[in-house]
Amino acid sequence: MDAPKVRITMALAGNPNAGKTTLFNKLTGARQHVGNYPGITVDYKEGHFERGGREILLTDLPGTYSLTAYSVEELVARDYLVNEKPQVVINIVDASNLERNLYLTCQFLELGVPMIIALNMIDVAKDRGIEVNAGQLEALLGVPVVPIIARSGFGTDALIDRAVAVAEDKRIWQPLDISYGEDLDGTVMTLMAEIHRQSFLTDTYPSRFTAIKYLEHDDQIMARGRVVDQAVAARVEAQADLVSDHLRKTMGVFPEAIIADHRYGFIKSIIRQGVQTRTFDTDRLYASDKIDKVVTDRLLGPLIMLAVLFGLYQFTFSWSELPVHWLDSLFGWLSGLIDGALPEGLFKSMIISGAVHGVGGVLGFVPLIMFMFFGIAILEDSGYLARVAFMMDRIFRIFGLHGSSVMPFIISGGIAGGCAVPGVLATRTLRSPKERLATLLTVPFMNCGAKLPVLALLIGAFFSEDKARYMFLFTVVSWLVALLSAKLFRSTVLKGDPTPFVMELPPYRLPTLPGLLIHTWERTWQYIKKAGTVILGISILLWAMMTFPRLSPDQVAVFDQQRLNLETQHHANTETASQERKSIDDAQAEEALRNSMAGTLGTAMEPVSRYAGFDWRTNIALIGGFAAKEVIVSTLGTAYSMGKVESRESAPLATRLQQDPHWNRWVAIAALIFIMFYSPCLVTVICIAREASWKWAVFSMLYNTVFAFILATACYQMPRLLSLI
Amino acid sequence: MRFKQFNHACSCLAGKFRQCMGDRPAGEVAPLSKIGRRGRKRICKITGDRKLCARMAALGFHAGEEVEVLCQEADARCILKIQGGTVSLDKTASRNIFVESLE
Repeated sequence: MDAPKVRITMALAGNPNAGKTTLFNKLTGARQHVGNYPGITVDYKEGHFERGGREILLTDLPGTYSLTAYSVEELVARDYLVNEKPQVVINIVDASNLERNLYLTCQFLELGVPMIIALNMIDVAKDRGIEVNAGQLEALLGVPVVPIIARSGFGTDALIDRAVAVAEDKRIWQPLDISYGEDLDGTVMTLMAEIHRQSFLTDTYPSRFTAIKYLEHDDQIMARGRVVDQAVAARVEAQADLVSDHLRKTMGVFPEAIIADHRYGFIKSIIRQGVQTRTFDTDRLYASDKIDKVVTDRLLGPLIMLAVLFGLYQFTFSWSELPVHWLDSLFGWLSGLIDGALPEGLFKSMIISGAVHGVGGVLGFVPLIMFMFFGIAILEDSGYLARVAFMMDRIFRIFGLHGSSVMPFIISGGIAGGCAVPGVLATRTLRSPKERLATLLTVPFMNCGAKLPVLALLIGAFFSEDKARYMFLFTVVSWLVALLSAKLFRSTVLKGDPTPFVMELPPYRLPTLPGLLIHTWERTWQYIKKAGTVILGISILLWAMMTFPRLSPDQVAVFDQQRLNLETQHHANTETASQERKSIDDAQAEEALRNSMAGTLGTAMEPVSRYAGFDWRTNIALIGGFAAKEVIVSTLGTAYSMGKVESRESAPLATRLQQDPHWNRWVAIAALIFIMFYSPCLVTVICIAREASWKWAVFSMLYNTVFAFILATACYQMPRLLSLI
Repeated sequence: MRFKQFNHACSCLAGKFRQCMGDRPAGEVAPLSKIGRRGRKRICKITGDRKLCARMAALGFHAGEEVEVLCQEADARCILKIQGGTVSLDKTASRNIFVESLE
């Protein structure tokens, strides 16, 4: 029997955009998306791999600049390090931005965690004329330093070997002591003595670290201290407040500013001892800065942004048109093939109407989704998306939202093709509960990847003359509605002051083709998987709801009698007889659908829904959309193909809708508006409940549906009043 | 005498123009939101609430630090280079960072 493998726990930590997730993917083989902007990863992610007979459990922590309690990412990273106590922390440091990155390193050293530094992007640093002496840095900091290039994998083997050595080393890691000047050093010593004497929080943090955090007025540690021992906490707080007041009066600053200043001073002293040499002038502006001067210009910037976004739509729709048509034909051919191969009956109906038309309706849009994701990946990986966030901040402020709300909006489909579920989760980066709630309730208004096929279907069917322009228009409408709703929330139920927006922008980088393809494929594959599992299940369930209960023998007999009468009247297989027979078949199929569970529900809703122009069949699709928005297309496909299983009748859904008397341009607009804004899908609702509460989740369902119905009714009734229909 | 009057009038006009453009002469301390022009500045003071000051300090914003303003909107947000990184600031943060022009 094999001996159990030695298990080593490692954590990856560092600043945003330092390359943590790239290294994580390289080491674990995980294919998790790396966004080139802060705020994409809030929770930590785990992966494992083997090295020299040891099993290594690697955790990717969210990117942070410091270990204070300012943001959720910082709390998640700090809590993981003190609670889970990984055997070694791999601190990824961007060699091209050493000073900023070592600020976090300082705090890891102060926390006394076993650590190794991965000096990443040494190639980028070299291009910028920066040489980093890893050996000197190692000697001065007293921790191993390994130069790597995470993107190519250079140095990663040496990094892991040295990390394993650190993990297996029995050395006791002593926290680093940095001097914070006379005023603070004295107080730190006094607080440390009190903390040490009372064993106050010493099981979690080193006493010096706790003392510093009290001086920094760290909310989380102070709250934890009050729970552990209220009396000691009060004494420590009073002492920290005393020195804080003194510094405010004498120097006009808070202790945390002095602490940060001294940490940067410590870093500068390290760097100046031969750690970093520069070939170029330190004041030199890099290409990235020069691009920023143009791209974020207050006049040129928004124009460039609009042109880029419009270009994205143009690229997506013009390039995907042909492959979408091929897939459409493929599923039409498949329907015909199955139709010829299977005998008439329920099974054939289920396969063609439930599975092929249901899943095919969704999979048919894979090329479009793929091109959209590819375009978004270019914007993300190049760093331009972060600039979009900066430019949109000005607009978001007007509507009572925080600049960081831009990311959840973009992730949810601000540039059509996202998903509201990660969008809702991304709101965790917002500090203000009211701004967060306002963002969380409005992100489902964005055009997610699931709504995209519906938009593409209806725009393609009724506005085929300029699809990209209409798609862009509906995206702008979704933004307007979301922002106006946010303003409404922030002016009524979620009133409150705004919080400041400060964000580090990643440098522009040329995206790599493998990276773009991986990101595009990951998201497209998620879409395909959903179509093959959840949507297939829901399609078949909805097919069953649209098939059962079946018509009674008496009802069937009425149609049989009509067919018999037709036979006796014409006695020949004329064109007229054939058309009349088809009419009877269609009437029977429609009666069967109306008689089914879904039909009964759809018909019961029709007296209300007809104000927005929706017939009972559209109602069935909209009910399906409560489960998942992708289902709308598949249900429409099923509802409009019931009873028409012959291959020659298997025309694309867009054509069937164009030919249907219930549909026209205005109904299409009303349907698009309703689908864009009605209740979020079930998974999003559950996420809202988990992130906020069930009260807000129910509010979101009710508010969105009522609001969407009013808008859709207005869109349908206005042209009627103006006699345009 | 006439030349002096003309010179004075020109100075006043230049001052008014600078004021209108939000442009400050070198050495004058003003909030980042009012500094008006791109270029190198030195941080003199950071005001605002404790959370903002702490955040700015962690990002390397402290008195004496030099920054390069890359993009600036009148009385609004800006993008600047500090400690080797590029940071975007909103109106609140820009109004609380006092700088002097070095150019």
